[in-house]
Amino acid sequence: MAMLEVSDIHSYYGHIHALKGISLTVDKGEIVTLIGANGAGKTTTLKTISGIMHPRQGTIVLEGERVDTLPAHEIVKRGIGQSPEGRKIFGGLTVLENLEMGAYSRDNKVEIQRDLDFVFSLFPRLAERRKQLGGTLSGGEQQMLAMGRAMMTHPRVLMLDEPSMGLAPVLVESIFEIIQKLNQEGTTILLIEQNAAKALQVANRGYVIETGQIVLQDNAANLRQNERVRKAYLGEE
Amino acid sequence: MKGKILLLLALVAAVALIAACAAPTAAPAPTTAPAQATTAPAPAAFKCTDKLGCIDIAPGAPVHIAYMFVTSGDNASLGTDTRYGGELAVDDAGGKVLGHPIQFDGQDSGCTAEGGQNAATKVAADKTVVAVIGTNCSSESVPAAPIITNAGLTMISPSATSPALTDPAKHQAGFLRTAHNDKVQGAVAAQFVYTQLKFTKAATIHDGSPYAQGLVTAFADNFKQLGGTIVDQEAINVGDKDMKPVLTRIAATSPQFLYYPIFVAEGGAIANQVRDVPGMEKVVMMGADGIFTEDFVKAGGKNTIGMFWSSPDFSSFGSGYQALVAAYKKKYNTQTLLGPFHAHSYDAMNMILAAIKKVAVQDPDGTLHIGKQALRDALYATDMQGITGHIKCDQYGDCADPHIAVYQLTSDQFSKNLMPETPIWKPGGPNYTYNPNP
Amino acid sequence: MLSKLSDRINPMDVMMFLIGGSIAAVILIGSALTLIHGKYSSAQWFDLLISGLALGGVYALIALGYTLVYGILRLINFAHSEVFMSGPFTAYFLANYLGQSGFLDANPVVGLALIFILAMLVSMTVAVIVERIAYRPLRHSPRLVPLITAIGASFFLQYFFRGLYGPNIKVYPEIKVLDAYIHLGIFRIQYTQLLVIVAAGLMMLGLHLFVQRSRVGKAMRAVSEDKDTAALMGINVDNVIVITFMLGGALAGAAGVLYLLMFPQVYFLMGFIPGIKAFTAAVLGGIGNIPGAMLGGMFLGIIEAVGPSLFLDGLGIPAPYQLKDAIAFTLLVFVLIFRPSGILGEKLAEKKA
Repeated sequence: MAMLEVSDIHSYYGHIHALKGISLTVDKGEIVTLIGANGAGKTTTLKTISGIMHPRQGTIVLEGERVDTLPAHEIVKRGIGQSPEGRKIFGGLTVLENLEMGAYSRDNKVEIQRDLDFVFSLFPRLAERRKQLGGTLSGGEQQMLAMGRAMMTHPRVLMLDEPSMGLAPVLVESIFEIIQKLNQEGTTILLIEQNAAKALQVANRGYVIETGQIVLQDNAANLRQNERVRKAYLGEE
Repeated sequence: MKGKILLLLALVAAVALIAACAAPTAAPAPTTAPAQATTAPAPAAFKCTDKLGCIDIAPGAPVHIAYMFVTSGDNASLGTDTRYGGELAVDDAGGKVLGHPIQFDGQDSGCTAEGGQNAATKVAADKTVVAVIGTNCSSESVPAAPIITNAGLTMISPSATSPALTDPAKHQAGFLRTAHNDKVQGAVAAQFVYTQLKFTKAATIHDGSPYAQGLVTAFADNFKQLGGTIVDQEAINVGDKDMKPVLTRIAATSPQFLYYPIFVAEGGAIANQVRDVPGMEKVVMMGADGIFTEDFVKAGGKNTIGMFWSSPDFSSFGSGYQALVAAYKKKYNTQTLLGPFHAHSYDAMNMILAAIKKVAVQDPDGTLHIGKQALRDALYATDMQGITGHIKCDQYGDCADPHIAVYQLTSDQFSKNLMPETPIWKPGGPNYTYNPNP
Repeated sequence: MLSKLSDRINPMDVMMFLIGGSIAAVILIGSALTLIHGKYSSAQWFDLLISGLALGGVYALIALGYTLVYGILRLINFAHSEVFMSGPFTAYFLANYLGQSGFLDANPVVGLALIFILAMLVSMTVAVIVERIAYRPLRHSPRLVPLITAIGASFFLQYFFRGLYGPNIKVYPEIKVLDAYIHLGIFRIQYTQLLVIVAAGLMMLGLHLFVQRSRVGKAMRAVSEDKDTAALMGINVDNVIVITFMLGGALAGAAGVLYLLMFPQVYFLMGFIPGIKAFTAAVLGGIGNIPGAMLGGMFLGIIEAVGPSLFLDGLGIPAPYQLKDAIAFTLLVFVLIFRPSGILGEKLAEKKA
């Protein structure tokens, strides 16, 4: 059974029809990636799933419950966590406070502490800098914080929007390692990446989005072999 | 960019503040304009030849007399007091003139220039208005008088006392007053302080209003002429609440006496704080008619005990005054008079009613025609015995028979929430012996 | 070479700098002359300072309401003056009753606490209603739109309370125990002023701790930085906004009672001037910045009390207190020339840029 099922959603920015009937599913334990060019609608898809935007048409179902009409903070509570594009760290809050914000809607102090320890074990750098203001971290550290903060929502589906963007290659490697590690620990992941090659390496399945529509979907291995994907997204001739 | 926006916001705030200091917003008072009273066509028999035009009042339609009074905010008691005076005159006339009911309503003029201007504009636009009573404050009359005059109307102020209003160079033809001219009031105050209290060192505070500036100037001129010294002349802004700094400044000049002929909110704040300032514990205080109101005493608190005011001399008023006071207290269910100008307003209403009777042309069916110029001329020609004295107007609109006296609040009156009704001294009267705690 | 220089120097900046410089010169020369002249004793200066601190504390508490709301919504809540008026105006009736019955003099602490609680509750309620009716429906409109409704709400509230409680001035009862002095050598402080300063200080400290330490306070900071991301953390942004208005309202209600302890006249227009002064203080300190609002309020209060005597007396200008607002706003311009986003505004400007 699908963990997250998005069916035929249409979203708009004012009069601009940004998503023209996106459908995708993410099964439990999977890493699913959504690849596409700038402006194709990847981030809009995530915003619509997380409730920052609401679809005018279509449904989003999380483990049998419709969530597309809920406000964003309710959707988080039901188990969709997101590390947004551009990281969106709270610059005036410390690292620890940023992580605490991730756990805002949770009450169980023991579990929160356990998740915090887990995040610090994944990202020891964050533990070192826990008192430092988020705005003073380096790009890589901010990305770690954004992922850690999303983890603190204790998601059943974790959505990562461009986690490797703007990072040095060595950092990109370690971010993807962590993504895999999270997945092995049991987190279902929906990953948006411009680095399609990397994304298809770690993903089980993938969708290709162009101008607000899904144009291809297949398992990751097949997509890597697909002519169109290789030309447009993997930069191969 | 952000900085520029903030700078702009700051400047906007500055402008708004300055405007506000001058004008704590006039309230739009309810208007119950009579419907089509004046639209009935005049019968062919009457032809209006008045150069300012005529007002036609259909049979049974009311004669509309508008007021421009302060009916809200800190000076509301001044306006309410004068409104009561006008209403009592209407009652005494049986509510009717020449068989038409009298309609007496109007606008809140807020005791500010903007308020006066707004009120006058609204009144001038109301074609049913025959004559106007108002305004209360001189600051309101300054912009209101030309508007009323240009509309061909005539206003009688019961309480705007600034000398500037009837100054030959500035006087507007449509402005008359039953209130005294502050040249008189300032002189009486100075005379009292110098000859009765025997003080020689006085300090003054005004609030920038034409009323207070006029009075302070008149007081200072007379006081210096008598031989006294003005040790400090201070000014505050309308809306100021913290008076300790300015009082500290005054204390540094060690005056014996403090004169602040301003309005209720600021005057109340001064009275309230004056004893807290070292050096001002014993200073004797005096205000004028603008704060000779119940609200001022409430605002000023116990420090107003023993304080003096100059104000119209109730004891010089005509024989009808006691009856008027009794009617006032009964009708409005009050133990005390709210302010000092109810009788002036009463007289103003009677002036207007008398003038209407004199000039109105009445058709057989009861329709009234009132020539505006004729009405104005009749008002100037008033020669009648009013409650406040003999009312006879000069060509610059001063109609009062000014009798100014000095009042003092006793602790007994304070504890009973009463205002003094009997003067303790008047020019030419018996000498007063200073009692700081009456 | 020459052209380079003229490129670097903007005539506007030069002018601003000259204006700033001459303001500074007038202040310095005026102050020096006043102090040399020695017209005021140190006890008098102390009185002025305390007066300024007390007034400044009130301004600061009101300014916090402006700055909290601005921080979260980038909106100048011009109805905040009326929030400030509404609570204390309502509490007047309680205060008057307690004063008349003698309860207030017999149990000043309990009596005052009741008055504070009522005033804060009413102001809080009014603030929340204003948010719900005048601002929330327009959350996604252009920024000028809620500014207009703010002004509308302000007028509505003024005349609503005029209709409710009457147009006349009313006077808070005097509390006898507060009308005494503490002496410290040649200096003295009135209990009222001491109470105002201490209470304002405690409330500001409390707010600071709340915003820095509490879970909701942290959420407020998160929402003020980025509402969408805050929502992704599971923060109910609308709730946080309501809480912000409640906090601002409660502080304004308390500020109103403190103000009335010093200046007991209450009527429906009483909020306007303190409100606009506090707004100025918020801008002065750097709007959106909480310590900035506190600093700006104190600064403005002290300048109003001390400034006219200190700066202008020595220059021989008559009746300087008439110019106190002019001085305050001149200083505002002065501060904004050199620190365009307010005294503590820099951090904020960086963050929001």
